[in-house]
Amino acid sequence: MSEIILKNVTKNYGNVQGVSDITLTLGAGITGILGPNGAGKSTTMKLILGLSRPSIGYVDVAGKDPFTDWQLKKRIGFVPEHDCFYEHMSGIEYVSYFLRMHDVNKNDAQKRAEKALTELGLEQSMHRKIRTYSRGMRQKTKVARATLFDPDILVLDEPFQGADPTTRHLLMEKMRNWANDGKIILISSHILHDIEDLTDKIILINNGKMLASGDRHEIRKLMDNIPRKIMVSPIRKNDLRLLAKRMLDEEWIRAARVKEETNEVILETNKAEKFYLELPRILRKEKIEVNRINSDDDSLESLYEKLVGGAQWK
Amino acid sequence: MEMKNIIVEVTKIGKRSKNLAPPIIKDCNYRLFMNKLTWILIFILLLPCLLGLWFYYDMSDQRQVQEINGEKIYYDVEGEPLHEEGRIAFLELSQLFSIGFVGIVVAIMFSSELINEEYNQKTMNLLRTTPIRPVEILLYRYLSGVFCMFTILSFASILFYIILMMTAGIHGIIEEIDVLWLIIKIIMFESIAYIGIFCLITIYFERPFLLGILYWIVWESLVSSQNYQKITVTHYLDSILFDGIKKMGWNTNGYLTYEKDLASDYGLMNSKDEIIASEPMIAIFALCFIATITILLGARGIAARQF
Repeated sequence: MSEIILKNVTKNYGNVQGVSDITLTLGAGITGILGPNGAGKSTTMKLILGLSRPSIGYVDVAGKDPFTDWQLKKRIGFVPEHDCFYEHMSGIEYVSYFLRMHDVNKNDAQKRAEKALTELGLEQSMHRKIRTYSRGMRQKTKVARATLFDPDILVLDEPFQGADPTTRHLLMEKMRNWANDGKIILISSHILHDIEDLTDKIILINNGKMLASGDRHEIRKLMDNIPRKIMVSPIRKNDLRLLAKRMLDEEWIRAARVKEETNEVILETNKAEKFYLELPRILRKEKIEVNRINSDDDSLESLYEKLVGGAQWK
Repeated sequence: MEMKNIIVEVTKIGKRSKNLAPPIIKDCNYRLFMNKLTWILIFILLLPCLLGLWFYYDMSDQRQVQEINGEKIYYDVEGEPLHEEGRIAFLELSQLFSIGFVGIVVAIMFSSELINEEYNQKTMNLLRTTPIRPVEILLYRYLSGVFCMFTILSFASILFYIILMMTAGIHGIIEEIDVLWLIIKIIMFESIAYIGIFCLITIYFERPFLLGILYWIVWESLVSSQNYQKITVTHYLDSILFDGIKKMGWNTNGYLTYEKDLASDYGLMNSKDEIIASEPMIAIFALCFIATITILLGARGIAARQF
């Protein structure tokens, strides 16, 4: 099975560090790469695509160096974040043009491009010039171009950008199917919800450094020492203050806040695992009944906020 | 790389060319011909045609005609054949426009559109993620550039020649056709060499227009008149021109002359007053060699470029 391996990769652009000492392995399935602007996501993708060469370390894609092995590119599909179009071409001309770079003859390329664009709902507009396309249509054209030669590896930089809900749903379905087919898919998106819907495998990156990688729940566990907020909603309103007061007696509770309007106590802990073990015991002892224990902190957004200190999402 | 490997690679490129070359060349030709700047340059190239028209109307009242074997031969008031005056004007203006400044600007502009625009539009990034060799990326763009430059300059030259020679009638047009072929030959080799050089500059440097003009002024204009001129494209183009005119038996002043005078007209003399013109076959070989080297170095540049 093919793998993508980055080993101690550092990439410098003059004095600017693109990524620093990144080590990761990507296998089949979808992996989300998350980080704010300038975090190093695009640099990581460029290294995998062979558009950049590491200053230190090495990149191995299916056992080959992507920077020098042009044949490897038969197996890699890339959806760039920015528009990279020949605006004077129609959608079908553009998609078939790039398919012909794979040494496909004209008729075959035309047919396959037509099929791919039709599948993505562009049958009415594929003969129009790209310069007249909306953002969503452009996005679909990019995806069609990157995927119609059935690559093993897909690198998708913001593939949902500008896509309407229908397109988004369609693309997600396709990505799930491709992942089920055993393709390696690396996807970056600023819409965290999209990534959460698609995969649990994530890479968090900031300032060129990899903060964490793996299953997002696992990552959360590893970061147990990072404070997280847990909302506990007692059935009786009278128990709100009692619960808050009682929880503050525990050394692993850093703060407690009563929110009467939503009938909940917001507890902040840096020992989440202990919290979940101890809380039922305390509730039983104090005879407090609760109807909901909720932690938004398991979402990628809060996870990321914890890691990068609320830096702006890309 | 071993010779055997090179042959294998070239064969593979040849086999793939039937799928790769047509879409790339078609797209590049479209971009070059549809570019507004191309049409401005075509307009500038056609300006001498206005001069040709003026020459025609100015001379039409004064010219004298003599009919020999049913052919009308036109002369000016001093009795000089008009086609001889026309060919000199054609040669000098062609050197100034098609071969000279405008030709160079066309080559710089085309190279920039073919390479630099692709970097600006980021389509080069995408091409680099497809299984196409860097040499293929450059080669088909180069061929398109040569084709377009040759077509436009040749078309302008043919049109200019016909308009300018109208004064000398059909006889004049046919009589001096060799000078038109000579100019077209020069345009072909000029396109082959300059598109390669400017593509190379465009690949390695970020300001191709400025550097291209600097190259032309410093290298092709200053160095080409010195003893070391054999390292310039101008020397080889002038050598072909010199040989062609020599064979026709006239120089730019319209008189039969000694070889040295003619060589001097084209700056093909060294400081020891020796003719240093290259043999035409050597000149052609040198220009093709320059083109090949620029494509290979350019391909290396594309391969090494990081995004």
